[in-house]
Amino acid sequence: MTTKKRYLRVANALFVILMLVQLLPNRISGDAHTAYLIGFAAVLEIIVLAVSTVSKTESGLNLFLDIIAFLYAFLIFWTLAAVKFNILSESLFPPMGKVIWQLIDDAGKILVNIRSSLGIIIEGYLLAVIAAIPLGLFLGNSARAGGAASYISKFLGFIPPIVYIPYGIALLPTFRSVSVFVIFLATFWPVFASTMSGVLNVEQKTIDSAKVLNVSKPTMLFSVILPAALPQIFIGCNQGLGISFILLTSAEMIGASSGLGYYVKQYSDFGDYTRAIGGILIIGAVVVAISFLFNKLQNYLLRWRK
Amino acid sequence: MDKIRIENLTVEYAEKRHSFKALEDVSFSVAAGEFVCIIGSSGCGKSTLLSILEGINLPTSGRVLIDGEPVTGTGTDRGVVFQNYSLFPWMTARKNVAFGIKQAKRDTKKAERLSQADEFLDKVGLADFKDKYPSQLSGGMQQRVAIARALAMDTDILLMDEPFGAIDAKNRTILQELLLELWENGDTKKTVVFVTHDIDEAIFLADKIVMMTPTPGRVLKEIPVTFSRPRNRTELVQTREYNAFRNKLISLFYADIVDRIGGNEVAI
Repeated sequence: MTTKKRYLRVANALFVILMLVQLLPNRISGDAHTAYLIGFAAVLEIIVLAVSTVSKTESGLNLFLDIIAFLYAFLIFWTLAAVKFNILSESLFPPMGKVIWQLIDDAGKILVNIRSSLGIIIEGYLLAVIAAIPLGLFLGNSARAGGAASYISKFLGFIPPIVYIPYGIALLPTFRSVSVFVIFLATFWPVFASTMSGVLNVEQKTIDSAKVLNVSKPTMLFSVILPAALPQIFIGCNQGLGISFILLTSAEMIGASSGLGYYVKQYSDFGDYTRAIGGILIIGAVVVAISFLFNKLQNYLLRWRK
Repeated sequence: MDKIRIENLTVEYAEKRHSFKALEDVSFSVAAGEFVCIIGSSGCGKSTLLSILEGINLPTSGRVLIDGEPVTGTGTDRGVVFQNYSLFPWMTARKNVAFGIKQAKRDTKKAERLSQADEFLDKVGLADFKDKYPSQLSGGMQQRVAIARALAMDTDILLMDEPFGAIDAKNRTILQELLLELWENGDTKKTVVFVTHDIDEAIFLADKIVMMTPTPGRVLKEIPVTFSRPRNRTELVQTREYNAFRNKLISLFYADIVDRIGGNEVAI
């Protein structure tokens, strides 16, 4: 890539515009914390320049810079509308500098809430995966029980897990256990169903080539059928992960006293939309980080595919 | 003594209204260390026959004896190479071979299995591809791994179901030569049953050709192949004996087909 192609980009131009926009006078009453926005954008731009320098493929760099360009454009628009021309209400659309300042100020509290939310997700999700995969394997492998189980799982799997929350609250002692329970259900059925269908769809050829090696029953199940069904199993795991986050944050808004959903709900109730928007952005970041790690794991375990 | 004896084998598949006869009264035997090619057009039941030798399918009547014992299922005395699906896609070449060894010889240690796997992958010329997954290998390379696994399992019998059927012509000849070399230079000569629809392949490889005929699958003729070994393909194909033998096989093969077509026309 030429130097021009590396550094003369829309994203970099937008960064300059974002900086220039900050020079306009503020038209709001409160502190816009502009320094925090500039600091954030500067850190981002340093990352952009670093990536531009080391990036080897042009398509990868393009994607990254396009995403950053969107982010800059959003910040420019927000700054103009909320801070410089005051078209948007100041309390509902706080300056981004203030949101960043508030996030840094609240970092300790937010970390506690992230830990609380992640703890529940991980517990409910992992329990469900650990229970659903072996069960799906055994039932998928047994022609008779499998037929009935697939119908039952269809029925139970179609019930939106959120309707279990009130019942769960009556049934279980703490709000945390209710959340784990609901996430367990939300993950269990998709993983179970995808494991069953994965097992049922293992090609006869694969089974035959294991049979002629004279494999034992456990070897057939765990070393042949399980890996053969793994691509399908991951579809269910992905689905479960997505639903888990929706459910947890919803549940936290209903009755929790900690967690990211609780953070957003609590401050929205107080009319503190700076913190509410900050919380929403943090939830987005956490979900993106988790799906990133999940995709890494999936790509590693399925690295044998083309 | 015969290594494999096939006695009056009949296989019927029950379909919705009627049954379909894949094999009818098939009998022949294979001596220990003999290389037998089963040849026939599609639908002659040659793959069905092999699946019974493998122990995946069971015959409707008749039986298969190996070393005098009837076959009742799969066994570690037989190594199998399929046309293109022998390997497990989630295992590297090395793991595939080691997995085969583990099933055949359960008391071996892991390190021992891996070093044996390496040794056999070296033999088939894949020393540099040990850690590749099947999807990263060409069709010919995949078959080399499958052969390495079957040999590493150190079975007396090798069953091969059109193993080179999906390989391009040039690589096919290379693989045929590799297979013969490994078979001839093994410590104890393995008994091989090799299914193919390629007449030249059968002549080049076999001690004996069993020609089959379709609907229902029966043995048309057993033909010994007497060309001396080791066989050199380029020299062999130039001899008059080779061409005469090949023509005889082809006319036998097509006479049977023409008979059937003619027969059907008369019947209609």
